[in-house]
Amino acid sequence: MSTFIKDFIEREKISRRNFLFASAAGISASALPGLFAPSSALAHGHGGYALAWSYRDRASAYWNAIVSGGEAYVESLGLDKSEMVNLINEASSEKSLADIKAFLAKNNGMGAIACDANDSPNARPVVEAVRDAGGFISTIWNKTDDLHPWDIGDSYVAHLSWSGEKPSEDAARLLIDKMGGEGGIVHIGGIPANIPAIERLDGLKNALNDNPNVELLDVQSADWDTTKAADVMASLLTRYGDEIKGVHCANDNMAYGVIEALKAEGITGMPITAFDGNPEAVDLVMGGDLLATVFTNPHWGGGIALALAHQAATGAFVPSEEPNEHREFYGPSILVTPDDAAEFKKTYLESTPTYDWTDRWGLSAGQIQYK
Amino acid sequence: MFRNFDIKSLMPIIVLIVLVVFFTAINPNFFSLRNFARIAIAASPFLMVAIGVTFIIVMGSIDLSMEGTVSLSAVIFCFAFLYFGGTLASGGWIALFAAMCFGMFYGALNGFIHAKLLIPSFMSSLAMGFVGIGATVLLTGGGIVRIDDDVFRMLLTYRVQGFPLMVYVAAFFLIAGLLIQKKTILGRNLYAIGGAEDLASASGVPVLKTRIMAFALAGFYYSLAGILQVAKLGQAESVTGANLMFLSITAAVVGGVALWGAIGGVFNALIGVLIVTVINNGMVVIGLPDYIQDGVLGALVIVAVILSTNRSTVKFVK
Repeated sequence: MSTFIKDFIEREKISRRNFLFASAAGISASALPGLFAPSSALAHGHGGYALAWSYRDRASAYWNAIVSGGEAYVESLGLDKSEMVNLINEASSEKSLADIKAFLAKNNGMGAIACDANDSPNARPVVEAVRDAGGFISTIWNKTDDLHPWDIGDSYVAHLSWSGEKPSEDAARLLIDKMGGEGGIVHIGGIPANIPAIERLDGLKNALNDNPNVELLDVQSADWDTTKAADVMASLLTRYGDEIKGVHCANDNMAYGVIEALKAEGITGMPITAFDGNPEAVDLVMGGDLLATVFTNPHWGGGIALALAHQAATGAFVPSEEPNEHREFYGPSILVTPDDAAEFKKTYLESTPTYDWTDRWGLSAGQIQYK
Repeated sequence: MFRNFDIKSLMPIIVLIVLVVFFTAINPNFFSLRNFARIAIAASPFLMVAIGVTFIIVMGSIDLSMEGTVSLSAVIFCFAFLYFGGTLASGGWIALFAAMCFGMFYGALNGFIHAKLLIPSFMSSLAMGFVGIGATVLLTGGGIVRIDDDVFRMLLTYRVQGFPLMVYVAAFFLIAGLLIQKKTILGRNLYAIGGAEDLASASGVPVLKTRIMAFALAGFYYSLAGILQVAKLGQAESVTGANLMFLSITAAVVGGVALWGAIGGVFNALIGVLIVTVINNGMVVIGLPDYIQDGVLGALVIVAVILSTNRSTVKFVK
């Protein structure tokens, strides 16, 4: 049986136990404030603020990394990682908002929260609820374009997102270099209406603008899916045959399908780029089956989102004194290539780097741009 | 002899031929051995699912558990394969039997819940599908299990007469499915139940047993699809069976299997799978933009169903 199940059960047990302890402590603490307050962890690292991460669930490797970043920040304060409250919204915007309100009410507004609001329209009620309760919040990913931290006030500390365009362009340039600056490319894209799918295709198009000898033969969607990517790639081989000199994929999973479709035809050495930096993809880069993938460092993103909210709460910095590029910014991305894949794997996948959480914008990739 | 001959029963084949001619006329590359091999690779796992669900549809029920069963069988196959040494020679072949036995067991459980606990097959099988996907997520932790054995992967990479071995495996189980349908008591009982369950029961057909066996048979075919998916992609995960539910039922119906039961069979499932796969391949080969492909597929499915099913005797649709 996989260790995942054991870990999962263990984690559930711990969180249930903590919940019981927390409820018990909450009741006793309110009855006997003098007895508990001095000895509790609150007095040491929190600065009086309770910490929480609000998200859908941690079943995927990506979200697991986000949340582990939040836990790393909490541990950097000298606290146990269980001091961070996990507000799991299970893909419900209503639950996301209700949990955050309940968390703030329980802590008399003394809360520092990092949050993915589940969907864009939910971000506004969430940050307004935090402002009204006197807490502090950073958001990642979901937010409408007209909602800005500087319009809400210091309570809405920052928003962090990732753009696929620039890193996808970098991957495309590497691909074109490998092709010798000429030949045909096919792009295997995600679900056409998804923002990341659009951005990653735009990145490829930017790179093609400076490379007139490279032709974009076709753009086909494979819905982020491995099986569909294999079938689409096979069909593209029928249409274009030897004209295809390189494949640009919008994520790792589809690249796996493309590699297998080529393997079925006995084609080896075709340069292929992907996106997401999954462990399997990094192995394929090391093995030479994949030219590059892009890693977006979710661990740092999850940690810095909570760090910003908490440090604004404790007064370590004042959000309204910071420029806009510090309040809405892109997270980092790293192009993983054959030259550095082994090093990358050692640094980011087999271990986790220790970050200085007071270097608040050190890894920022610039202010968020709206189109 | 031709008095009872029904042109409708040939329509699925005619639809398939028209599609092949149409795509070839626009891009002659479509009509080539290499492209037929590509279509066959895409169709092989898909065909196994369509045959499995055809047995259930013929019986007048529906099975929506295939995505969960395919994913779970594929993941169990990969874990077992790695446990027995990670190569076919070292004992990985045991994993083949483990996956097939699991598929049969899971299908039987599905049938038991439906037939014994009297839950409509639509609901019980859908629920079992969710259970399967959930179990796959738990087993894999949301990750991917990879198989790197070159001998096992010969199913994809080794070709005989231009077609990979996995296509011959699929063909073998296609013939097995035809024989089960035509030559076994189980096969005939499925049609009896699908035609009129009360009459079949009164005539001594063991309805409960037949239902459970039919779901076990479907589960077996889903596990074959899972194994062929791993052969094709070299990996298994919780989404290995994604999209197969809608596609396989569509294929069965397009091929002439009627959702009201007792009409059509394994051969129709084959034609339906080929029609759907040819459409998917052909749309890319003739250069149709990706954003209109889903719409075109939907429209062609409706046209194919109108042409290939005899609806004149249907008293009601539900």
